[in-house]
Amino acid sequence: MAQANHVQTDIPRSPNAKSRVGMEAKPVDSHSVARRLQSELMSLMTSGDAGISAFPEGDNIFNWVGTIKGSVGTVYEGLNYKLSLKFPTDYPFKAPMVRFETPCFHPNVDQYGNICLDILKDKWSAVYNVRTILLSIQSLLGEPNNDSPLNGYAAALWPNQEEYKVVLQKKFRETESGGVSS
Amino acid sequence: MASESGATAVVLDPKSDMQSSVPKLGANSSLSEEGLELNDGTGEGEESVQPNVDQGVAVPAGPARPADDEILLQENSIKAEEAGKMEFIGDKEPLSALAAEYERGNEVFKAKIQKLGETYGSIRRTRGDGNCFFRGFMFAYLERLLHSQDKTELPRMRDRIERCKQELIAIGYTPFTFEDFLEIFMDQLESVLPEEGQPISLSELEVRCRDPNVSNWAVMFFRFVTSAEVQRRAEFFEPFILGLTNLDVKKFCQTSVEPMGEESDHVHITALTDALGIPVRIVYLDRSGGASDDALEINHHDFVPESAPESFKPDTSGLLTLLYRPGHYDILYSL
Repeated sequence: MAQANHVQTDIPRSPNAKSRVGMEAKPVDSHSVARRLQSELMSLMTSGDAGISAFPEGDNIFNWVGTIKGSVGTVYEGLNYKLSLKFPTDYPFKAPMVRFETPCFHPNVDQYGNICLDILKDKWSAVYNVRTILLSIQSLLGEPNNDSPLNGYAAALWPNQEEYKVVLQKKFRETESGGVSS
Repeated sequence: MASESGATAVVLDPKSDMQSSVPKLGANSSLSEEGLELNDGTGEGEESVQPNVDQGVAVPAGPARPADDEILLQENSIKAEEAGKMEFIGDKEPLSALAAEYERGNEVFKAKIQKLGETYGSIRRTRGDGNCFFRGFMFAYLERLLHSQDKTELPRMRDRIERCKQELIAIGYTPFTFEDFLEIFMDQLESVLPEEGQPISLSELEVRCRDPNVSNWAVMFFRFVTSAEVQRRAEFFEPFILGLTNLDVKKFCQTSVEPMGEESDHVHITALTDALGIPVRIVYLDRSGGASDDALEINHHDFVPESAPESFKPDTSGLLTLLYRPGHYDILYSL
């Protein structure tokens, strides 16, 4: 039974895994995912995209916290949202679980922060990465898919952008004052 | 002559709809995946497989509605069930194994399989999980090289892959998103064509091609290569893609090429064989023609890129051949 913790060491990622770096005898499988996530972090830090950021939470590379700024020219301009990203051990074959931590009033986001975005579900593929996920969510904010809403009220309100903005701002302030207070 | 493009634009892609958003349920899943005319006595193993639901995706406790995550979990468990029935790549079997599948089945199929036996001696099945073309193609290619030991193929393929890499970068993919996949494929190629020492054995190749940590990575490598080629020659592929789906080229790649489990058709095969310079013959086993028809034809299509090396071309023993049945590809071997 004491062996249970080491079970992963027996599963090489590739039979020919010429132990790329050759130094560690860590579980190869999760090691390669961790290595990939490290590359993602480096790329995010150097890409300097406006309005998105993400960083591992604490020392667990599989759990990240991200932020998205509403794009200029959309009703979300000036609003900041916090998200959580949890990576499965078979990332990037499986999508990370991404949800809004800051409550988000949006046609494709439910009250729990779950996001309805195809690339996070059935249209996920290994070509995506943290940066493209966050950019996709950022553009989803300004371009909702109102045909299959998780928040019917938001979807119905969307065509009236002025009123939408009023409700959005009100809801956003509520969450802010519920938290840090402004 | 964009003939009535309005009409084609209305045509939806029932395949991708069915595959992606509808959670498939247990017993019928293999049918909907492969669309085969199987009789019941195919001798598939009993369903002894426990659905594997520990994929690291936690089901949120809160929402009462069936969350997308739960649907995904269900799909994963169906895949796990499939996995218990069939390896990614099966053993090489005599063609009579295929005939046995149709013993009580469609007459046209039976007649065609008999005819198939005049040219082909064996078959190697692949798992019907939507990645079967890529898995079959990879195995057939590597197995061929294992036998031929054609050392010119290694530098040729290295050169090809380098070009694919540049192409992927040119269309905006970040290197770290594809390098690992590419490397795993090259590892396999180098082990069947080692620059020094002995190549791996056929059984070792089988073991590797049945290992998700090799096979899935290589499939993803092929998906990257296919996507890059389709995008590079977007003008060429666009009319075919519009004829099949109502998607533009980029969207087609995102939804029908890049995700694992999306089935391959003409567009994918053309793009992959062109990009890698490896011809492939697809033999079609379908219900066209009549069983009593003396001149019953078995259709095939050769995908032959101009740049293909002679050793892989049709009319050589090096031609890779896959058997297509609606929705599924297996490997065929000449007599």
